[in-house]
Amino acid sequence: MPIQYYIYLCLALFSIGIIGVLTRRNAIVVFMCIELMLNAVNLLLVAFSKMHHGAALAIDSTTKAGIDGQLFVFFIMVVAAAEVSVGLAIIVMMYRNTHSVDINFLNRLKN
Amino acid sequence: MNWPFLLLDAADNNSVANYFPIGIQLIFAAGFVATMIGVSQLLGPKRKTADKLETFASGIENHGDARQPVAIKYFLVAILFVLFDVEVIFFYPYAVNFRELGWSGFGAVLMFVSFFLIGFIYIIKKGALKWED
Amino acid sequence: MNAIIFSALAGVVMMYSGIITSKKTVIKYIAAIALVVLIAANLLQVYGIWQISVDTRDMLSFEKFGLVFNTLAFTATLIYVLLSGKEIENAGVNVAEYFALIFFVLCGVSILSSFNGLLMMFLGIEILTIPLYILTASDKRNLRSNEASLKYFLMGSFSTGIMLMGIALVYGATGSFALHTNAPVALSATGGIKASFLEVAGMILMFVSMAFKVSAAPFHFWTPDVYDGAPGVFTSFMATVVKAAGFIAFIRLFEGHTAILGPTWKILLAFVIVATLLIGNVTAVFQQSVKRMLSYSSIAQAGFMLFALYSSNDMAKEGLLLYSVAYSLATIGIFAVLIKLKDYAFDDFNGLGKTHPALAFATTVCLLSLAGIPLTGGFFAKYYMLASMVKEGGPLWLLIVAVLFAAVSVYYYFRVIQAMYFKEGTPSVQTEITSGFKAGMVLLAILIILLGIAPSLVLNLFYF
Repeated sequence: MPIQYYIYLCLALFSIGIIGVLTRRNAIVVFMCIELMLNAVNLLLVAFSKMHHGAALAIDSTTKAGIDGQLFVFFIMVVAAAEVSVGLAIIVMMYRNTHSVDINFLNRLKN
Repeated sequence: MNWPFLLLDAADNNSVANYFPIGIQLIFAAGFVATMIGVSQLLGPKRKTADKLETFASGIENHGDARQPVAIKYFLVAILFVLFDVEVIFFYPYAVNFRELGWSGFGAVLMFVSFFLIGFIYIIKKGALKWED
Repeated sequence: MNAIIFSALAGVVMMYSGIITSKKTVIKYIAAIALVVLIAANLLQVYGIWQISVDTRDMLSFEKFGLVFNTLAFTATLIYVLLSGKEIENAGVNVAEYFALIFFVLCGVSILSSFNGLLMMFLGIEILTIPLYILTASDKRNLRSNEASLKYFLMGSFSTGIMLMGIALVYGATGSFALHTNAPVALSATGGIKASFLEVAGMILMFVSMAFKVSAAPFHFWTPDVYDGAPGVFTSFMATVVKAAGFIAFIRLFEGHTAILGPTWKILLAFVIVATLLIGNVTAVFQQSVKRMLSYSSIAQAGFMLFALYSSNDMAKEGLLLYSVAYSLATIGIFAVLIKLKDYAFDDFNGLGKTHPALAFATTVCLLSLAGIPLTGGFFAKYYMLASMVKEGGPLWLLIVAVLFAAVSVYYYFRVIQAMYFKEGTPSVQTEITSGFKAGMVLLAILIILLGIAPSLVLNLFYF
């Protein structure tokens, strides 16, 4: 399948994530949208990795080009897991203090 | 396209025919589900009891609403599980390249695991996994 | 490599020191000793005496610039721990963990000062920011701290997402994560979409995300809230060492890499610089709380540090090192005094000049340095930034705007000095001020003045 389909799909997912972050008011949903952005990037990286591998394979049949893209995906996943644990802990802490996860309540610092 | 080599052909060329095996798979899956439900509906005995109308909760009697706070310990264990679970991802590349990496790779993985264990011991010492107070 | 390994190990040691002992002062001294060891290990590598060599496959490159920055950042952290250690002890119950997190942040700093590829840059930034989310939230019962950490977390991971998209697009265009690559662009393979288009889009996304991280103007809005809500001690750390590390990463990422963006790059950057200076300085004038004023001032100072990116020549790099030191030391000093006070309002400083003349003197020197008055470190820092810009052929109007805003900044820094010396009242000093703290503050002030007289003290490190 041509690479541009993947690019368009990933950009669409990424944009959905961004719009979600900007418009939703529930901290957990915002967080899920951020995860969606990260996963769009993962998909794009894997697609590019395959593309570069394919291009290099035509010249050299033992090439390892494109492997680094997939490795990057592993690192994104692990870092995302670390972020999830910290982020959910923060949200739970917030919930225990205010009994709400609505980010509209985040205005104590405005004045 | 000859039938015995359907899959091989599909792998070679880039066309709608690629999706033919997936279509067959879909039809089989849907057909299997429909058949099983229909047959069990036709042949099986029918007993209507109050228990059967309850929400299924793995055999435990369900009580109350799902939207009530649970003990924070569940959360802690779940988070720790996520953290330690995802780290396993690094073992896949190691497993694939086990022979090529040799002893230096083994040393690296050993270091990774030992960092891991340090974290785990820290958690235990901190009492994060202590279930009873 | 020494810095990365030792800071990670020091973090682990701190984690376990909390289990072994519960005496907070002991933990603080362990942290100070670990910092000294860390500085020593890094210096050994700077002078090429001893280093742990690891085959990093070109993902990290240890150049003088980054290593010297490591030394400076660790030293600033040591000064911070010595001056504000008491407040870290009182910030909450998990003192050992706070120090462990600070060491993990330093590990991120040392990765950011030596990355040679986008993968390491991403990991460095994450190792830097994830502990900061926790430090921001360390005051668990305080709603302001909660709110600040949630905001910081959401904004931080959002900008990380944007950065990753940028990295992915650049990877698609060049086929490599290496920073300085001349890899053949796989034009035909991207099917219809030009590779250069992907690369430009990726670089702009990375620029946006880095601007988020260093709080440059259109993306600065999280900074005041987060810096204001976080416990004062940790704001001090976030606004100094961490911010300087962000700039090091920024300049390493874009240095010699902007040819594809063409002349638009300079225009974009000039716009960002002016906006940052404008918003930082003008908003700081209207603040009622010193802490919030300092967070806007950190945005304003970020505007000056962006000049290093604008010119990105050798002089800019020297200037950035000098700027990080001058700015970090001054801000650490002011925060060390500020968190001793009850509230963070300007009025709390009233009469400090009469009751604690030594503290007031040291604070004054710090504030003068931030404002960029001659004879303090801040003057040469700003001078180097602007001079490097002129050397690179930057426009005259940009220089004038920068000097004008530096003049504006004098106003709000002098409000604190005015409160200390010319207003009646008793300063609301909460914690007891020991003579050791006073001596430390005076030494800090002398150090800042020394930097103002002989900036070559720092710059010689770079060339030795």
